[in-house]
Amino acid sequence: MSGPHGAGDVIDGRYEIRSDVGEGGMQFVYAAHDKLIGRMVALKTPKNKSATKRFKRSAIVAAKVNHPNVAKTLDYVRDGTNRYLIEELIEGSDLQDALLHRSGCLDPYSAAKVFHHLAKGVAAAHHAGVVHRDLKPTNVMVVGGYSLNEIKITDFGIAKMANEELIEAAEGGTSTMTTSQTAVGALPYMAPEAIETPRAVGSAADVWSVGAMMFHLLSGAPPFGTGLAAVRRILDGTPPPTPAFLTANPQFASLAKELMDVALQCLQKNPDDRPMADEIVTLCGMLCYSIEPRAEGVIRRIDYGAYGFIETEGPDVFFHTSSVYGPRLVQVGANVIFASYDGGGARRAHPVVVVDAPQA
Amino acid sequence: MRTLPARYQPSGPTVHGGMSSVAFCMDKVLERPVAVKFLQATTHRRRMDDELAALLKMRSKHVVQIYDLCKFSDNYIGIIQEFIDGKDLFESFAPPNGIDGYYRQLWQIASGISDIHAVDVIHRDIKPNNVKIDPEGVIKIFDFGLARDAGPAAATVGFVGTPGFAAPELYATAAKFTSAIDVYAFGATSLFMATGDLTPELKAIPPAPLPTGYFGAIRIPTGKNGTALSAEVVRLLDACLAKNPNDRPAITEVRDALARHLLFDRHQALVVFRGSPSYLNAANRAIALRFGTVGSVDIAYDGLKFAVTAASGEVYINNRPVATGYQLPGCCVVALGSPARRNNERVFITFDVSHPEIVV
Ligand SMILES: Nc1ncnc2c1ncn2[C@@H]1O[C@H](COP(=O)(O)OP(=O)(O)O)[C@@H](O)[C@H]1O
Ligand SMILES: [Mg+2]
Repeated sequence: MSGPHGAGDVIDGRYEIRSDVGEGGMQFVYAAHDKLIGRMVALKTPKNKSATKRFKRSAIVAAKVNHPNVAKTLDYVRDGTNRYLIEELIEGSDLQDALLHRSGCLDPYSAAKVFHHLAKGVAAAHHAGVVHRDLKPTNVMVVGGYSLNEIKITDFGIAKMANEELIEAAEGGTSTMTTSQTAVGALPYMAPEAIETPRAVGSAADVWSVGAMMFHLLSGAPPFGTGLAAVRRILDGTPPPTPAFLTANPQFASLAKELMDVALQCLQKNPDDRPMADEIVTLCGMLCYSIEPRAEGVIRRIDYGAYGFIETEGPDVFFHTSSVYGPRLVQVGANVIFASYDGGGARRAHPVVVVDAPQA
Repeated sequence: MRTLPARYQPSGPTVHGGMSSVAFCMDKVLERPVAVKFLQATTHRRRMDDELAALLKMRSKHVVQIYDLCKFSDNYIGIIQEFIDGKDLFESFAPPNGIDGYYRQLWQIASGISDIHAVDVIHRDIKPNNVKIDPEGVIKIFDFGLARDAGPAAATVGFVGTPGFAAPELYATAAKFTSAIDVYAFGATSLFMATGDLTPELKAIPPAPLPTGYFGAIRIPTGKNGTALSAEVVRLLDACLAKNPNDRPAITEVRDALARHLLFDRHQALVVFRGSPSYLNAANRAIALRFGTVGSVDIAYDGLKFAVTAASGEVYINNRPVATGYQLPGCCVVALGSPARRNNERVFITFDVSHPEIVV
């Protein structure tokens, strides 16, 4: 376990630490058992004790947002000199670990679902007057892996705090930018105004970040790359080129293009030119996409380069190569994520996305 | 009343109900309003424990969330709940916003009750007064005052419930009841939400059966004339109010039917024939697929599903021979030419059905 706590530690006589969930630039995250109520919760504590005042503010901000696509704030406690935010424990992993880590991109149906739910959560926050400021894949939690049972945004609260560090990093120039852990993770999704005038960012910066994540989900990479080079490209204002595979397959071309068009609108340099979160919700609400659960398998065989079978835990599933989305070649032995439908002899898979083999 | 921890500052008078009272407070730590429900378990200790257990089991978008608990004594507790800003459906009755708005509200309530029943809990007091719409338009069910687990122990002595919404079996001496009482109450709530009142039959004590096909006569105001409910919804809502609990549908069946009708005429099928895409939807309801003299099939969309309306020759869908009336699965391949033929003597047409996602 990392950070100040180990399993068995009890915070405020009530929250018993069970395990370590993760750590980012700003905070340690633990899974804890709330002994009073008898349920599991997420417990977050800032890394930097001098930041406690801002941490409290951040908890208050987070508590204002109440929506199914936003992690619920449950409590805020102090124990000795430490401060803790208690939040709904989301039993899943973040967008980075759950999805991007192995596949790079999602099929357009899944991407549409993520887009729709992200926009809903962000819109609810904006209605409550809350700007996230630090939207990035590790602040989006996913339950059910590729099946996307639930999508929840977290760390609305820490935004302001991260922002201060981001401001320091931004004002300290590009060298600080690349050494600040917070800035490094957030950078590829950061709006130009968040880099140039970090003290004056509004809700349009969140819209940019949602667009940047969408771009990543659809195309397999953040729109302006990562690291230092991204800063220049983000500020440049030139729209990022979209890979040809997006529209190469008539099975996916139309939805992929519709989604990418919205993502690119979000990535306009001038904040006033970007849509409101509400407008993205409306657009997504009109899109047709299937939300079937996804399964995982390995390509067993491919015949005539046209169709084949996927080995799964159950019976093999039939697929046609025209159902495969993404830049990666489908070949025997490849790991794939797919949805499947009733069929004679075997179920039929659609869509199919090639992913890395799971790590042992 | 015992004093609450200082962090909860009363912001108005305490409202007293049958078995409990509710105080609206400001949580000074997180600077947000909360609703504190006090439960005194003098003779109803089990009921108090049941309510708590029920609420804690719940993980639903449509059920109010517990933040915290205060135990004043073994028999007296305060449940700190999320405060839903807005009026309940009884206080704020307004004619439904078109048939879609009506279905959407009913679907959300049915979803909430489904989540409750999924953890083997009976709400026992479903009525418009116990349902609120939050500022984001999300429907939340609250007041589990009478919740008790389903199963053999689900029997009570004497009447508990709200006349007008209480199922007939609750009026029997030593009433035995099941989750079907929530389905009955849902039916009565649906009627109230359409008309703003209950019928004399429902108000009678005990309630009398409604005239058959009652919901068929209801018109939801839209434009000059009202809109009738779809036949399937009429059948299900009528059945919710059946005298015999066994004749009532499961709430999940009602929920799923409402979801289907919410998507009426909003489905789309993407048909790719030899690399060129076309769409089947409300604007373009039928398609004919032909391959010389080998086989031909007509497929039509009726607003809810895609089905074969004519077929001749060798027609296979997902590898199964099909005839008129066959309903297409979500995604499929239509093959003209039997599998006995060589691949170049057959044509394959992909047919992928999707629809907008209902997101709250
Ligand atoms: N409410 C939660 N429930 C479960 N896991 C969470 C929750 N909030 C955050 N996490 C996990 O903790 C990890 C660390 O979070 P954080 O310190 O905020 O890092 P980052 O700056 O990368 O977002 C996240 O990547 C996420 O996987
Ligand atoms: Mg985070």
